[in-house]
Amino acid sequence: MSADSPLVLIVDDEPRILSALRRSLRREPYEVITVESFREAYHVLESQPVTLLLSDYKMPGMTGLHFLAEVARRHPAVVRLLITGWMESIPQQEIDPVGVWAVIDKPWDDAELKDTLRGALKAGPPVPA
Amino acid sequence: MSGSSEHAAVARVLLASPGTQGGIPDCGRALQGHGLALSLEVVRDAPACARALAAGDSQLLVLDAGCASDEAGEMLGLAQEAGLAVVVAALGSGPLELAYWGSQPVAACASTGAELAAAVRDLLDSGGAAEIPGSVLPSTAILRGLNVALLAIDAAGRISHCNEPAARILGTRAEALQGLPLASCLGSPVPEAHPVAQSLSRGDSFEGYETTLLRADGRNIAVGLSCAPIPGPGGDRAGVVAVFNELREARRMRGDVLQREKMASIGQLAAGVAHEINNPMGFIHANLAQTAEYASELRQIWSRVEALQKVALAGDPVQSRVAAQELAAAAEEVDVSFVLGDLAKAIRESQEGSERIRHIVQDLRDFSHPDSSEREAADVNQCLDSTANIVWPMMKHLVVLQKNYADLPPVPAYPMQIKQVLMNLLVNAYQAIEQRVGRSGEMGTIEVETRVAPEGVEIRVSDDGVGISEEHLQRIFDPFFTTKRVGSGMGLGLSTSFKIVERHGGTLSVESEENVGTTMRLFLPTGPAAPG
Repeated sequence: MSADSPLVLIVDDEPRILSALRRSLRREPYEVITVESFREAYHVLESQPVTLLLSDYKMPGMTGLHFLAEVARRHPAVVRLLITGWMESIPQQEIDPVGVWAVIDKPWDDAELKDTLRGALKAGPPVPA
Repeated sequence: MSGSSEHAAVARVLLASPGTQGGIPDCGRALQGHGLALSLEVVRDAPACARALAAGDSQLLVLDAGCASDEAGEMLGLAQEAGLAVVVAALGSGPLELAYWGSQPVAACASTGAELAAAVRDLLDSGGAAEIPGSVLPSTAILRGLNVALLAIDAAGRISHCNEPAARILGTRAEALQGLPLASCLGSPVPEAHPVAQSLSRGDSFEGYETTLLRADGRNIAVGLSCAPIPGPGGDRAGVVAVFNELREARRMRGDVLQREKMASIGQLAAGVAHEINNPMGFIHANLAQTAEYASELRQIWSRVEALQKVALAGDPVQSRVAAQELAAAAEEVDVSFVLGDLAKAIRESQEGSERIRHIVQDLRDFSHPDSSEREAADVNQCLDSTANIVWPMMKHLVVLQKNYADLPPVPAYPMQIKQVLMNLLVNAYQAIEQRVGRSGEMGTIEVETRVAPEGVEIRVSDDGVGISEEHLQRIFDPFFTTKRVGSGMGLGLSTSFKIVERHGGTLSVESEENVGTTMRLFLPTGPAAPG
């Protein structure tokens, strides 16, 4: 991976999900870092040039949406995506203000996931409403 | 009997018509239409009824019972206190043959205007005496339509009436029992402690009493029975009326309700569990896709291996070298050592995921199974842990769970029922927190504590959720009471929990303050004497 290839950060409290996502994105033209907690995610965001952040929705202690809202304040240039296995759809009016590029469902389709991430990287950070 | 000697040309009749608006109600018009010379006074609520009765010049009360209500019951009571005969009129309701309205005897019932007029005329002619029909006991016709087993015993202790459902349970025909002594269905000698015997001898009432009756074939049959003395005209007892049902039936129905409630709790769980299944499903699904890709990459390598084998066996050193180089290049391109390592890892992780799904499904299946009929020595801490594991996924984003367990002695219990109660308490606690914090990003705390109590164990589940208002606090154990939005609960959770705990000889109590939180306290006795 070249030095200027984008950096994708993925947060999920389920290590097996992270492992499978790394596998799915193995051949993609960006570097993937995975962490299991928001605390670690903040650490990476503050120390490395993260381009895109993909966060799980149901995390211990906080929802991914609240986390992304905080990231939007602290690191507005990071493209933000949610991944969720929660069957309840998250109301659009809660997603909109956070500026989430896409919500990916678990289980995900590999090809769709790759397309979505590539599209998001190409588009750059959304402007919060 | 007030006013019995004064009724003359124009009889004075009170028409109690609760809940109706102005004008003469239908049954009033029906009376007028049938040529009765009446002075009709319409009262529409209990206070008005009481005032009219106090005037003391009414001979009869017609209760317009188009719809039964507390008010109607109250008016009936007032009239009976005043010694006034009561005719219940439910016009247009179809044949109405009740000697008791609610639990109180009435003089007559009418479902048509003609019946009403006839009943009123008869009563006025007879001086308005508040007699129970059939002099002291309800007529057979009244009982026939009743889909509840009913026996009536007269003051002499003879079976004066027996309806079909009662005869069926007693294994005989209704006519066969008529006039027989009480011993024929209670056994001989008549057990003094039997509720029917006590009702007859002492005037006691019983409700939902579990006892036995003697069948015609000599077997005893377990019944749930309610009985009460029938007051006679002079204040003495005219007999006893008893209603009952076969306990086997009642037990089965109770089991059904429990099972239904359990299935409803599982519905509540489904959302949380779906999430918990979705996670392993997510990575198994992705891993399988990747495994397929690895397989195709390895197949490419294998075709290079075969090509090399072919030229090597042919003994062509130049071709062999070329094939070996191509194999090495392909292996590097595919990163075979990584693929082999990761393939094994992907399979291992997927196996672990499918194992997790199997566990979740098994938990649910255990949960939906009716308990065995035997109690076992249950480890309450373990019950708590396994229940918390089931509900944790649905609440982990909002809740900090604090466990504080003491070493507990085993409790004789039906463990799945105890788990159902615990799950109900945990889910309620979670929902109370969810209501308080909404999607604000705040967290709540559920504290689960166990400790040894005198003669038992105590489990406390405390939350810092919305709390329960004082008016709701008195009703939370009532069946079907719910403040949850339609579809998220049947309102059976706590009432069922309460029943389960009662069955274990334990107690379930609540302390709550609005906007502060709720503590549910569950006590389960360790003693073997707990009723079952």
